Amino acid sequence: MNLGSSALSRPLRRRSFIASVMATGAMALAGCSPSDPRATIRFNQSKPEVIPYFRDLLGQFNASQKTTTATHEVTAGLSAAFARNDPPDLGCLNYNFEMARFQESGALSDLSDLPQQKTNAPFIKELLALYPDYPGRTSVLPYSMMGAAVLYNKDIFEKHDLAIPTRYSELLELCGELTDLGVTPIYSTFKDAWTASQGLADYSLGGAVDINQHFAALREIGSDFTPNAAVTFSKSFTEPLLKMQELAKFSNKDAANRGYGDGNLAFANGKAAMYLQGPWALPEIAKTNPDANIGAFPLPMTEDPNDLKVRVNLDLALWIPEQSDHKAEARELLAFLCQPKIQDAYNESALGFGVRTDSPPTKDPRLKQMQPYIDSGRLYQGVSTAIPRTIPFENYMQGLVTGGSVEQTLATLDADWARLAQRS
Amino acid sequence: MALTTPTKPSNDAKVVAPTRPVKRRQFEATYLGFLVPALICFTIAITLPAAMGIYFSFTDSVGFGDYNLVGLANYAALFTDPAIIGSYSFTIGFALVTVILTNALAFFLAVGLTAQIRARVALRTIFVMPMVISGIVIAYVFNFLFSNTLPAVGEYLGIGFLKESLLSNPDLAWLSIVIVTAWQAVPSAMLIYIAGLMAIPYDLYEASSLDGASSFGQLKNVTLPLMTGYIGINIIIGFKNFLGAYDIIVGLTNGGPGVKTRSIAMTIFTGFERGDYAYQMANATVFFIISLIIALFQLRLTNKGQAK
Repeated sequence: MNLGSSALSRPLRRRSFIASVMATGAMALAGCSPSDPRATIRFNQSKPEVIPYFRDLLGQFNASQKTTTATHEVTAGLSAAFARNDPPDLGCLNYNFEMARFQESGALSDLSDLPQQKTNAPFIKELLALYPDYPGRTSVLPYSMMGAAVLYNKDIFEKHDLAIPTRYSELLELCGELTDLGVTPIYSTFKDAWTASQGLADYSLGGAVDINQHFAALREIGSDFTPNAAVTFSKSFTEPLLKMQELAKFSNKDAANRGYGDGNLAFANGKAAMYLQGPWALPEIAKTNPDANIGAFPLPMTEDPNDLKVRVNLDLALWIPEQSDHKAEARELLAFLCQPKIQDAYNESALGFGVRTDSPPTKDPRLKQMQPYIDSGRLYQGVSTAIPRTIPFENYMQGLVTGGSVEQTLATLDADWARLAQRS
Repeated sequence: MALTTPTKPSNDAKVVAPTRPVKRRQFEATYLGFLVPALICFTIAITLPAAMGIYFSFTDSVGFGDYNLVGLANYAALFTDPAIIGSYSFTIGFALVTVILTNALAFFLAVGLTAQIRARVALRTIFVMPMVISGIVIAYVFNFLFSNTLPAVGEYLGIGFLKESLLSNPDLAWLSIVIVTAWQAVPSAMLIYIAGLMAIPYDLYEASSLDGASSFGQLKNVTLPLMTGYIGINIIIGFKNFLGAYDIIVGLTNGGPGVKTRSIAMTIFTGFERGDYAYQMANATVFFIISLIIALFQLRLTNKGQAK
């Protein structure tokens, strides 16, 4: 604005400027005055793929409500909102270590009295135990779960009459056979560190180590942890990670230069027999090749088929902050979203698995093979989701699959863990 | 900026800077009107947050909720943390190599582009282009070149070392960051050098050529001594900028392979998104002090350069 460009108009302009500021302020005040009969609640959900889906759901909710309006918030990174004492009223986010910090510090309200908690599938309790909760509280309600295993090209397996391996030795044999046939056994995309970590590393470790038990033991030791403690990463992880390096060698030659997008494209075009990615890759693969004939099986890491498990994560969990002024309204929205019809429809469209005892099994042919493992509770959560992200675990795993030393890396990880345990 | 440095650079040390007029300027509301808004904005947006950050570096805060004062514990942990020390040694090493490469290239480009050659202005424009492209865009383009184009060229021509991407080589990935950063940073350094070169009076060259100096002799005995001020400024500014390296690394290697290319700024940033807030605030405070020392050094150098 060109304030004071001529001496004559200056006072007038200043006055009108002040007046306009005051008018704006008054309007803003009116907007949040208590005379408004409708309560506005903020619903935060930032998973990009399903934002339009939830926008529709919120539209339905708002149409059904007389006194509550829910607005959709899609900002990621909620630390700042909590720091400003201004979190959303209902969150629907990935249940990960960042969420865990909020629940551990008591920023989330207790949801243990919700009727929806009673219908949780039996394995939910174990999954929630990965992160410490605030004493006496159940801070989140699981909404949707993702199951991840080895995606494989059924056509290639059928063409060469190959069986799904259930033992580590069979897996090595399979990789050898595929190599002899001139087929790349595993398509890897190590340029993107997270793909090495959540795929090959999480599957290798989850298939061999009891992840929950390992981290429960570490929590027990707490700040006394040293690299010489009874439970360490070096002691538990060395063997599976050496196996992981053995498997990584069966990757495409240019794995170190390939990223996630390259992997989806190549696997869709049948460039490899196996691809260690989660169900989120399936829509991407379908964009290139809608007819790709894909199945999924858990990565065998031992010689006992009873050890087979699939990697899961609570892709969406609901929570209501302690600081929310509209807890009752937020619970109404929560109840709306948790109606079995709505929840099951969401899981079907988002390639998720149900988290209730009465959830229907998945209908997607690409995920079907994982259902028996989930029904019998043979599942684990990835190590990459259990280590605070201040430790660059993803980068460590990227270093390992491209030939780094397991011994050194785990010594570093132990030392990192000890330092973190001491200061938190 | 140094572009406005007067024609005679620092070597004229014998002349003393004139003392300021002693008469006190009358208090004027207009000046205050210009100054105060900026001061308020700066205080609210920069000074206060920085002070809060320094305060939180003495706590165990995770960024929200309750916290306790822990004294110097974060700092003590900082200086024994190999991840932190690793990021400092990588960043400082990277900044040193990049600053040398950038200035060598920029200087010779500037000498070439101030010579009497055809299409001088057009060439200058072309060489300045990298400066106007955003770092993250440059990084992604080079990422593609390193990951796809160069290996394909290597494959086609049978050149062994090109076949594997520089980005995935744990020992050489840092080199890719040096190359790309230098590519982006050369133009601005070059502009400063061009300004400096154009400020050298032509009669000095005339006189030296009458004395029988070759073009190399002119470069060594006339150009270089008169350019020392500009070189100093360029090195300090460049080094300070490279210490804050972030966007190009994120776009190229994201700290990998492993943690070989994690810069200080990247490590600090993990504290915000990954819940190690107080600890990384301590790291940021240390980094701030280092930057401050460099900035003061730069200020002294510029002041010396302006003395006439």
